[in-house]
Amino acid sequence: MSSANTGTEVGSLASRFNLQQYVVYLGFLAIFLFFAIMLRDSGFLTVRNLSNIVLQTAPVTIMAIGLVFVMSAGEIDLSIGSIVAVAALAAAVTIASYGMAAGIVAGLGAGILIGLINGALVAYVRLPSFLVTLATMGLFAGVSRSMTDLRSISVTNEIFTGFFGSGSLLGVPSLIWWTVIAIAIGHLVYRETRFGAHVLATGDNARAASVSGISVPKIRLAVLTISGGLAGLAGLLYAGRLQAAKYTLGETDLMTVIAAVIVGGTLLNGGKGSIVGALVGSLMMGMLNNGLILMGLSVSDQMIVRGLIILTAVAVSLRDKSR
Amino acid sequence: MRKALSIMTVLASLFAAHAFAAQGVTTGPNGEKPVPAASLTLTAAQEQQVKDGKFTAALVWHEMSEYTNAVNAGARDEFKRLGVEVVAQTDAGFDAARQKADVETVMAKKPSIILSLPVDPATAASVYDPARQAGVKLGFVDNCPAGYKQGTDYVTIVSDDLFQMGNKAGIAMAEALGKKGKVGYIFHDADFYVTNQRDGAFKKTIEQDYPDMKIAAEAGMADPARSEDIAQAMITQHPDLDGIYVTWAEPALSVLSALRAAGNKHTKIVTLDLNEPAALDMVKGGNIAALVADEAYSIGVTLARASAGSLVGLKAEPFYAVDSIAVTKETVKEGWKKSLNKDVPATIADAMK
Repeated sequence: MSSANTGTEVGSLASRFNLQQYVVYLGFLAIFLFFAIMLRDSGFLTVRNLSNIVLQTAPVTIMAIGLVFVMSAGEIDLSIGSIVAVAALAAAVTIASYGMAAGIVAGLGAGILIGLINGALVAYVRLPSFLVTLATMGLFAGVSRSMTDLRSISVTNEIFTGFFGSGSLLGVPSLIWWTVIAIAIGHLVYRETRFGAHVLATGDNARAASVSGISVPKIRLAVLTISGGLAGLAGLLYAGRLQAAKYTLGETDLMTVIAAVIVGGTLLNGGKGSIVGALVGSLMMGMLNNGLILMGLSVSDQMIVRGLIILTAVAVSLRDKSR
Repeated sequence: MRKALSIMTVLASLFAAHAFAAQGVTTGPNGEKPVPAASLTLTAAQEQQVKDGKFTAALVWHEMSEYTNAVNAGARDEFKRLGVEVVAQTDAGFDAARQKADVETVMAKKPSIILSLPVDPATAASVYDPARQAGVKLGFVDNCPAGYKQGTDYVTIVSDDLFQMGNKAGIAMAEALGKKGKVGYIFHDADFYVTNQRDGAFKKTIEQDYPDMKIAAEAGMADPARSEDIAQAMITQHPDLDGIYVTWAEPALSVLSALRAAGNKHTKIVTLDLNEPAALDMVKGGNIAALVADEAYSIGVTLARASAGSLVGLKAEPFYAVDSIAVTKETVKEGWKKSLNKDVPATIADAMK
């Protein structure tokens, strides 16, 4: 795409470049303006409502970062929703018995461990990630149901709930801090490190990457482990925000996360992606939920309109991107 | 620590309510005595006050189904009658985190009333606190957040007479089988107050009131999508079952298809909630013998009325229960009207001709 700045057809190439690269931002802006005008008297533009959107999408954003790495490497992780529930429950149960630090280790550890299992099966047993994570999605959904016999577990440790979801620092809610920090680190690793370049090279052409000396199995193991760990973090954020954990947490998030990542400009088959795009994609999903509710639409109408808008956004963002 | 203890106390009282209800009386989730929903009325002066108040309401549902639709329609109709504008409606898809987000979102419209069914009562305080703290009148279906006080934190709870529903299902099963025979029991294997109460009441009724009937097979169902497998296993192991109770209508359809696949015409099914394909099978003389339905529409009407009334000083009772009806082939028309406030679907009306 950098060739857009050279050559004779600079104008048309640049306009294509812009449309493809910035479609998520333009789409976000268009939807924002639409709601801002339509809902000007309905509280959409209040600081409270806008900050709610960011808070509500924080776990999805965190999971989306992991999925950008996974999809950029040409893989997929369908198990993130189940990891959220396992991690949240592991943390909640452990906090009740052994305190906050142990709870955090248990929650994140569960996520990383499941990610490692996914990664090892994909990288070293050479099974397709779609099938591996489809299986572990079901497997760990079962584990989360049996962990507490379907019961929800309260999280009463106020330091934990404050740190992971309900509190704030310098007047900024902790969920916003988590989002900002995760996006900053994710973006730096993805764009500025050799690891990030290797992930993209693996997704672009695994054989070529392997020939050029990149350990493709290690990259696959790493991206799925990162995704598991970040889904674990999302589980902690849900537990902190709800002050409770239940097996249903994260159950409905997978499609939202995938949509956010793709709308944000990451290719389904690897080689190209954007962390910041995923953030904007995730905020777009949250804004859609929020705005359609505030418009007073019935639930069925909300689902239809949301589906149509996502379809449009995905279609526009994927157009002409096939390599 | 004190907070943990108080939560445990509330949980313990919830379980105590479960145990008490299984003895034969429906109580609220905190042991409240049920008051008939029909007894709640507003005076003409109160209704005028509500109309003059230009109030608004948001409907924050746990999920959308035929049942929720009926509750929703009842609430909307009653609000319309009282001049209360419904400004938002949401569906949490049984996800507590999403329900929290929904409450936060609808708060942007500053509703005077929120009607809701808490997905997870044990932890719902964190879901509804933003609305409670803002002084929104909260009205609940079936359950309330643990730790909330009726009258100060929320207006009232309106629910089915859950014991009556399970009990009527037991009676309907007995009638269908001539009060004797072997029964299969497919219950909801989840910690969910409503289904647990109804399932328990069915089982108690059969065990206590019908000595010649026996629950010969039991299976828990956590995921409705897997109910056909469960039914298949049950009828393979017990081909001589005379009846099967299924916890609600959607999984009952899977049980029906398993029976059909096995060429089984003698095993009767009794289940809960009205459902068109199930009712169609019933009127055509298939396996379905009875559908026990609550008056879901009345739940919405009662909850809307109590919550709107509370804005003009009405003091609601803590717990209202609506009636239920056992709908059979003979009563399907009246049943539809009473439960859902709708005419029976055309397919069923045609089949009855």
